[in-house]
Amino acid sequence: MTISVGDKIPTIDLSIMTQDGPGGISTDEIFAGKKVAIFGLPGAFTPTCSAKHLPGFVQNADALKAKGIDTIVCLAVNDVFVMGAWGKDQNVGDTVMMVADGSANFTKATGLELDLTERGLGLRCQRFSMVVDDGEVKSLHIDDGVFEMTSAETMLGEL
Amino acid sequence: MSISVGDKIPSVQVHVLSGDGPKGISTDEIFAGKTVALFGLPGAFTRTCSAKHLPSFIDHADALKAKGVDQIVCISVNDAFVMGAWGKDRGTGDAVMMVADGSANFTKAAGLDIDMSEKGYGVRCRRFSMLIEDGVVKVLNIDAPGTYELTSAEAMLVGL
Repeated sequence: MTISVGDKIPTIDLSIMTQDGPGGISTDEIFAGKKVAIFGLPGAFTPTCSAKHLPGFVQNADALKAKGIDTIVCLAVNDVFVMGAWGKDQNVGDTVMMVADGSANFTKATGLELDLTERGLGLRCQRFSMVVDDGEVKSLHIDDGVFEMTSAETMLGEL
Repeated sequence: MSISVGDKIPSVQVHVLSGDGPKGISTDEIFAGKTVALFGLPGAFTRTCSAKHLPSFIDHADALKAKGVDQIVCISVNDAFVMGAWGKDRGTGDAVMMVADGSANFTKAAGLDIDMSEKGYGVRCRRFSMLIEDGVVKVLNIDAPGTYELTSAEAMLVGL
């Protein structure tokens, strides 16, 4: 079952790259007591993601924060080294937290998986965006072929 | 069962990043009629791999080719986009063909899989090197998890 507006974000262990290498972080740590803009995508370094989705959130980070967002999170079924390298490549800096769901635990628990095995990508995450307030999903968009639904610009318009 | 010396490389589909995006390529295309130095590793952009393993093959590409290797291939359970980005980041140029085994087809068929799901990596490939002549494994080295000793370009050169 895919997660819906009103649901709580499940408690899952994820990874982020730190100064000292890979570090664990739970969804509870990310979401508790904060208003979080989270977006997910099928893969780091892929064309749409690189060219539009992640940069859209980097560019609109200040505008999102001005509208009450505490943290912006980018999540993909890639490992922490790949997510760290991609964030560096895209000059994310402190604007977006690059979260690795390498074993797809979060993706499966929220029902957002996308099977790209045939295309050599294995099990990935659908392109989505959510606003999550203190762990509760307030808005949810899943890309059904229209990238714009999950963009930072769309989210800004709704805040 | 892991692949052994004398075995044929299984015929599976893998991917490379071309100018037009990811492109499917069969292992038959890669290995038929050529002497290939193949090495595999648990992940692009990881520390041992980035810092030592891939660069060792880039640095020794000319020496390997002088000893009869036609093609050097790096394989990992990452997708074609990640392998392409990693190759660019490390400046592989034409020295090493970066092959994506994103769905672990090759890795599983060769019995070289290692389950790193607990650590957030899913199923990956063990660190290994092989010398392959016309699709037949002539030399095979596998490093124990967390080590990097037997599978370097330097070690392969000594045996050639």
